[in-house]
Amino acid sequence: AAGVPKPLTSSGPKSLREMPHPLATSSSEEMGPALTPSPDLLLPRSIADKDLSLPNGTPVDTSSPASSSSLLNRLQLDDDLDGETKDLFVTVDDPKKHVCTMETYITYRVTTKTTRAEFDLPEYSVRRRYQDFDWLRNKLEESQPTHLIPPLPEKFVVKGVVDRFSEEFVETRRKALDKFLKRITDHPVLSFNEHFNVFLTAKDLNAHKKQGMALLSKMGESVKYVTGGYKLRSRPLEFAAIGEYLDTFSLKLGTIDRIAQRIIKEQLEYLVELREYGPIYSTWGGLEVELSEPLEGVSACVGNCCTALEELSEDMTDDFLPVLREYILYSESMKNVLKKRDQVQAEYEAKLEAVALKKEDRPKVPTDVEKCQDRVECFNADLKADMERWQNNKRQDFRQLLMGMADKNIQYYEKCLTAWESIIPLLQDKPETK
Amino acid sequence: MEDCLAKKMEITVSEAEKRTGRNAMNMQETYTAYLIETRAIESQNEGQCSPVDSLWRRYSEFELLRNYLLVTYPHIVVPPLPEKRADFVWHKLSADNMDPDFVERRRIGLENFLLRVASHPVLCQDKVFYSFLTQEGGWKEMVNETGFQLKADSRLKALNATFRVKNPDKRFTELKHYGDELQSVISHLLRVRARVADRLYGVYKVHGNYGRVFSEWSAIEKEMGDGLQSAGHHMDVYAASIDDILEEEEHYADQLKEYLFYAEALRAVCRKHELMQYDLEMAAQDLTSKKQQCEELATGTVRTFSLKGMTSKLFGQESPEQREAKIKVLEEQIQEGEEQLKSKNLEGRDFVKSAWADIERFKEQKNHDLKEALISYAVMQISMCKKGIQVWTNAKECSSKM
Repeated sequence: AAGVPKPLTSSGPKSLREMPHPLATSSSEEMGPALTPSPDLLLPRSIADKDLSLPNGTPVDTSSPASSSSLLNRLQLDDDLDGETKDLFVTVDDPKKHVCTMETYITYRVTTKTTRAEFDLPEYSVRRRYQDFDWLRNKLEESQPTHLIPPLPEKFVVKGVVDRFSEEFVETRRKALDKFLKRITDHPVLSFNEHFNVFLTAKDLNAHKKQGMALLSKMGESVKYVTGGYKLRSRPLEFAAIGEYLDTFSLKLGTIDRIAQRIIKEQLEYLVELREYGPIYSTWGGLEVELSEPLEGVSACVGNCCTALEELSEDMTDDFLPVLREYILYSESMKNVLKKRDQVQAEYEAKLEAVALKKEDRPKVPTDVEKCQDRVECFNADLKADMERWQNNKRQDFRQLLMGMADKNIQYYEKCLTAWESIIPLLQDKPETK
Repeated sequence: MEDCLAKKMEITVSEAEKRTGRNAMNMQETYTAYLIETRAIESQNEGQCSPVDSLWRRYSEFELLRNYLLVTYPHIVVPPLPEKRADFVWHKLSADNMDPDFVERRRIGLENFLLRVASHPVLCQDKVFYSFLTQEGGWKEMVNETGFQLKADSRLKALNATFRVKNPDKRFTELKHYGDELQSVISHLLRVRARVADRLYGVYKVHGNYGRVFSEWSAIEKEMGDGLQSAGHHMDVYAASIDDILEEEEHYADQLKEYLFYAEALRAVCRKHELMQYDLEMAAQDLTSKKQQCEELATGTVRTFSLKGMTSKLFGQESPEQREAKIKVLEEQIQEGEEQLKSKNLEGRDFVKSAWADIERFKEQKNHDLKEALISYAVMQISMCKKGIQVWTNAKECSSKM
């Protein structure tokens, strides 16, 4: 059956368990029969193929063909492609607790599926802990200073207040880490970053950390962000506007966070009273004869509403609040990038001024100043592109967040409605004459 | 309820008015007067409508009426009045008697009281009650002239009876116990319900803050702005909806309160029984001791150790004439006592019979009313849930357009 792509033996992160672990075996020949390339299939190219040279200077290797069959299968598997073709999929799941003599910590499984040439294998599965994500983020900030790096969930938790090993906390963190990697994956520049590649693929990340990869982008190496060295003359309007927007945005998010917390608090206090309220009907039912069943029914009903309310509050805590906080962190890191941009521009302006003052023959501008100008223009371009992407993602994320919040409340009321509607016949029931 | 007044006459407490006047100590006071309107119910008679009579009464007059009924019909579970002072309030409700909401709920409660009395087979026939509804002036004097206050049993006596009665009717003991328990459970329920209302109010109102902040946020957004703004509006609607919801729930609370106070009326009937039983036992005991005395005097022997016996021994024998005189007095007393005991017994049996009939009537009424109350409560909850679903569905739709 030549030319017919066979489906992957895996169809989603779950069945990766059935596959031989890439890290367990040293040979890549055990990947199974699914990887028969069909050169006859015309496949859409990934976006990365179009830019043959990235702003940071690294060339893109397009010599090795993508495994077309597996790519096609990935297309079949993934429902929301949004018209773009994705060739890199990353998932964070399966948290596990590790208890060692020195410390206890959680690792998460990071699964990668890709057709990109930058990756030696089409699938990877590694285990990473929070520190590793933190390392990745720092490396990305260092090596891609002109881009917006997504935020990580809070590093530190107040001991004694939050249980680092509770299911809810771990799950919330897992979702945030998953989001973090997916945002990088979806970024046309960041997703090709070498550190990201290492993070996704290395068997022993610590060894890599120690080696301290020498890779630094052209930008990262040459720009020194000396604080307070240069003073900015005038900020371009659009960046000033972005700055103002971010200020107000994070303020409003902070307010929403406080409101949401207050609502959860009020709901829990309401729950406490409801928990006392319901059983009283039951006690009363014990006194009565004919009213016994109706009163018990009301008691049970209130109990059901309590359960529904508990679920609502949990959902809000686990799903709503973390996303708000994530965006607040995002705004903060974005403001830092804006500051860096200001400084790059300031440096350029200072150097330009210095040249003007030297009163040299000016048939051409010195390359030093040229480089600065380049840097400013690249930074502005990258930042603009990232801001647009960020705005769009933000809109989608908040749309989903608010719809989700509405959904949860609807579900809560529907559960309560069902409970109360079901006891109406019980209440109306006429007992048989004794 | 064939002949009850409620079938013949329409009764409403239609208005409430603030008044100022002078009280018993000639000090100025503010009080509320309620307008009672009555109209004879005509059978469909070519659209003829009889005229409406009306008069004003204040709460203290209602109280006087009820006290009269309590004393005059001790075997009846007398319908209660709405509470004198606002109790079991959650924070938004005023505990002020002059508060218009409180006055309104009281007006409804007073009307309910009159309707209850008017539909009671025994109470509706009372002349004092009829005058209360129809006779503007001189009613107070009329009530006092009945001298009912004198017939009232003292609380102390009633309390005494509770502890001393030897053979209470078991049914009444059980009923009294039920009354106690009912009172306790309903007041617990009302207390917690008020706290629940308070908390629910808080939850809804905080959502209103979303409205404001979404509006502010929408000002800096381009594409998201409209969706945010309208979602925020729905949060305002949500927050505002709780006021009506909780106001409706107060009617449910009032229905429960009526039966809380009914429990007290139930206990009053039981206490009256205890008192009568006690009286009976005392009278029987007195009769027995007198008979004994008589016997002792007649036979000259002291059968049992008694103070009287000792006295006669200590102070020497009397003359036969003195003894004869004593015996005669005692015999008269014994005869009186036996007649009294007979009538007391009869009274007691009649009381038990009619009380128990009314208690059965009351039980049926209670079961019916409370079932209705629970149904209306469930309906209120259903309505609240549906409103919630509606608002959040609207908010979801607005968010989807972001």
